[in-house]
Amino acid sequence: MTIMETRKHGDAADGMVGGRFSRLDGRLKTTGGATYALEQPVKNVVHAVLVQSTIAAGRVVAVDTEAAKAAPGILSIFTPEDDLGLLVASDWHGNRPENEPFRPLPRQISFNGQAITAVVAETLEQATEAAKLVKVSYEEAQPVTSLDDPNAGEGRLVDMLTVGWGDAEAAYAAADVRIEAEYRTPREYHVPIEPHGLTAKWEGEFLTVWEPSQWTHGMARTYAEWFGIPYENVRIVSPFIGGGFGSKAMGYTYGAVAAAAARKLGRPVKLAVTRPQTFTAYGGRAATKQTIRIGATKDGVLQAIVHRGASETSVFADFPEQTGAATPLLYAVPNLSTQHRLVPVNTVTPGALRAPGKNPSAFGIESAIEELAYAVGIDPLELRLRNYADHDYQSGKPWSTRQLREALTVGADVFGWSGRSHEPRSMRDGRQLVGWGIGCGTFPVLKAASEALIRILGDGSVEVVSGAIDMGQGTYTILAQTAAEVLGVPAERVDVKLGDSSLPGATVAGGSMLAGALTGAVHKAATAARDELIGLALNDSNSPFRDTGANTLVISGGRISVPRGEGPSLTLAELMSAIGRDRIETQRNTLPEGANGPEDHKRSWTTMANIQGPTAGDLSMHSWCAHFVEVKVDEDFGTVRVSHVVSAFDCGRIYNPKLAESQWRGGIIMGIGQALLEEGLVDERFGRVINNNMGDYLVPTNADIPHIQVISVGVPDYDASVLGGKGVGEVGIVGVAPAIANAVFHATGKRVRDLPITLEKLI
Amino acid sequence: MTRTIHLSLDINASRYELDVETRVTLLDALRENLGLTGTKKGCDQGQCGACTCHVDGKRVLSCLTLAAQVEGKQVITIEGIAAENGDLHPVQAAFIENDAFQCGYCTPGQIMSAVACIREGHAGSEEEIREYMSGNLCRCGAYNSIVAAVREAASAVTTGVAAKDKAEVA
Repeated sequence: MTIMETRKHGDAADGMVGGRFSRLDGRLKTTGGATYALEQPVKNVVHAVLVQSTIAAGRVVAVDTEAAKAAPGILSIFTPEDDLGLLVASDWHGNRPENEPFRPLPRQISFNGQAITAVVAETLEQATEAAKLVKVSYEEAQPVTSLDDPNAGEGRLVDMLTVGWGDAEAAYAAADVRIEAEYRTPREYHVPIEPHGLTAKWEGEFLTVWEPSQWTHGMARTYAEWFGIPYENVRIVSPFIGGGFGSKAMGYTYGAVAAAAARKLGRPVKLAVTRPQTFTAYGGRAATKQTIRIGATKDGVLQAIVHRGASETSVFADFPEQTGAATPLLYAVPNLSTQHRLVPVNTVTPGALRAPGKNPSAFGIESAIEELAYAVGIDPLELRLRNYADHDYQSGKPWSTRQLREALTVGADVFGWSGRSHEPRSMRDGRQLVGWGIGCGTFPVLKAASEALIRILGDGSVEVVSGAIDMGQGTYTILAQTAAEVLGVPAERVDVKLGDSSLPGATVAGGSMLAGALTGAVHKAATAARDELIGLALNDSNSPFRDTGANTLVISGGRISVPRGEGPSLTLAELMSAIGRDRIETQRNTLPEGANGPEDHKRSWTTMANIQGPTAGDLSMHSWCAHFVEVKVDEDFGTVRVSHVVSAFDCGRIYNPKLAESQWRGGIIMGIGQALLEEGLVDERFGRVINNNMGDYLVPTNADIPHIQVISVGVPDYDASVLGGKGVGEVGIVGVAPAIANAVFHATGKRVRDLPITLEKLI
Repeated sequence: MTRTIHLSLDINASRYELDVETRVTLLDALRENLGLTGTKKGCDQGQCGACTCHVDGKRVLSCLTLAAQVEGKQVITIEGIAAENGDLHPVQAAFIENDAFQCGYCTPGQIMSAVACIREGHAGSEEEIREYMSGNLCRCGAYNSIVAAVREAASAVTTGVAAKDKAEVA
């Protein structure tokens, strides 16, 4: 185990994989020099502003643009009347309907806040003003606004999400102890501090899009298909992304509108989605509900879990927020059944938000397991250890690595769990009720091929080049560390270029898989570059190593020399000069040898079709964590404050603890927001998200967050990735909300099963 | 309405001349007209703090400030707090050292708030820092590291860089 004591000042070793190396992009980000999408200087740019629908269902009868057109500076107004000449693009898996027209400004209204008109003007102020003058008349239909709408119905079963083994219903019926409860989570939103938007510019049949992107290659494909131009004609540029959390991995309708407007007008168009518009320009996490029944022995040994969940989706596309995603994985249970339903409502199609599925699923099962702990009178930590899963009951496969027991025991030690008294309302701090709770989390290891280019330059510096992105996870930094370790140069001498679809192919920064994919590709390319350099050093007629008789050479600290120190020792720059090279360049990918043609490349970099799930091989591979949370609840006012958090993680080998800790804490903090603050409020009459801004949709502030201690209990998992890491970015949020709900129950004796846990639910 | 006015703005020790509509905010003037894009637009309605700048030494939300309001005043943005020789301000250095950001988009606003928070004398304890830095939202959740960075920078500033900050106010 490694307790992550805060150690700020690094040493030379920190530049290697596993070191606490500071972010390479830190200087740019702290001086205002990091240039995000909408900040790219583009000459002659004009501004587009969206008009969104104010009804949730029906159709646009007419758009009156007369007043808007008369406003100063107006260049064009696009309405549902305009056929922008676009085609529907592929989904994430590369499936595409043939020649189906795509109307990003539709006449048919499917949700409140749907973009229906775009106003383009010389300045942002002119476009904003004119957008207010657009008058839309509608023919309204009756919307279905939420899971609770009487017309919503039960939804339809998603067959591929039905999981089961044994006879769960019979085992539940026969169990000595039975609990049953329903758990609910509301609509939640990504709220990255950088709002979405883009600048689109055409040069003939070539399109450049500056847009924050978690996946430059995938989005380039989307734009190319919308406009019917070759993939190679589109360039997505995204060197910095102001937070994504799942929301910036695909093209959205406003992107199509901006790019189409730019083509029609013959000028670059900038479209900044306003903060309120972000709540419906793309989807957040769907509202969910799930019923969990657990049957157990009197000793708390699980006999059966029966899980029935549902999530809302839009009326025109399916996005299941899989409430059963974590349920089968966390515990040993001989009988299990989960099902998930999709309920169409008049909302924007929900999307992937940090740990989709796993997150609400863990809220259910990790709340239910503590309800069982109280039903049988067993400490929640002991109950979890008693039901520890020694293998994956769902796939029947052994775990690759699973340090969840260590996470639970080490986390408990550091937290001081043994000092807990089990009875609710039994711990106090003055007028505050004190409660302690646990929540476990899991996230699968997803694997994808990627590509990287390495250049060793004449001055001995190194470049790493990939179309992958860094939205704050630390891609720039860990790829520099990876190349530095292989090539024996200080990480400061490595320049990493990312965020451009014209660069070598990379999978999506999603599913916590980018680090594993890219470190693998960089490691492979850098190893090839090192081998080539050493080969040249041994064989080039001008190399001082040629006559040493050495079979190989070592590179360390930026110098190349003969093993065991005898003979010449040159800096890489001196060697490059001696052999007359200004660069050595190697490009490698991690596709299998038999599937490495152009079509394989396109499929791998621009779709998710080739991504391997956690049980694709002989093992079951996942990240794991255990959160220990203390809350203090004001007995009179019902206010909940999180006062202490200790979280232990098994994410395999950690490439840079400083950055991984930041991601873990970030996930935990988003989990605190989910537990106590975050809820999209829907007006039942109009299907409108009424708190569509950062003052009313509450996210945690600095004052809401105590010091959070994070601990790594992971061991290298070389089945999961080349360098032994598992996913870091998403698992941190999983299990936080139930840990807080469990702590609130321990403090107050009140079990809150619908998030967020707000004071009116406690008093 | 498209009435433009001429403004002369003092920003980061430089004089900028620009013609803008009267309704242009300081934030949009910086980002769209002057190429000073270090100041970020997160909400454009005074809720997130990403656009925090200093006007006459006090932190303001530039999205709720018209460009025309700051004529004759000294505006400092994130581009203007490092030393002329490129040495980072102690707050900037402490943010990097403590990993007080991930995506970096709220960071300029956090740093401008932190500089002011220290100068205001509100960096005396972790609790105080949390309270006085709560006008700046960070969705990546770097709050622990921001508190650590502000604490570290506060001691550096009070020992070494106080003179520079005083000069900035004057």
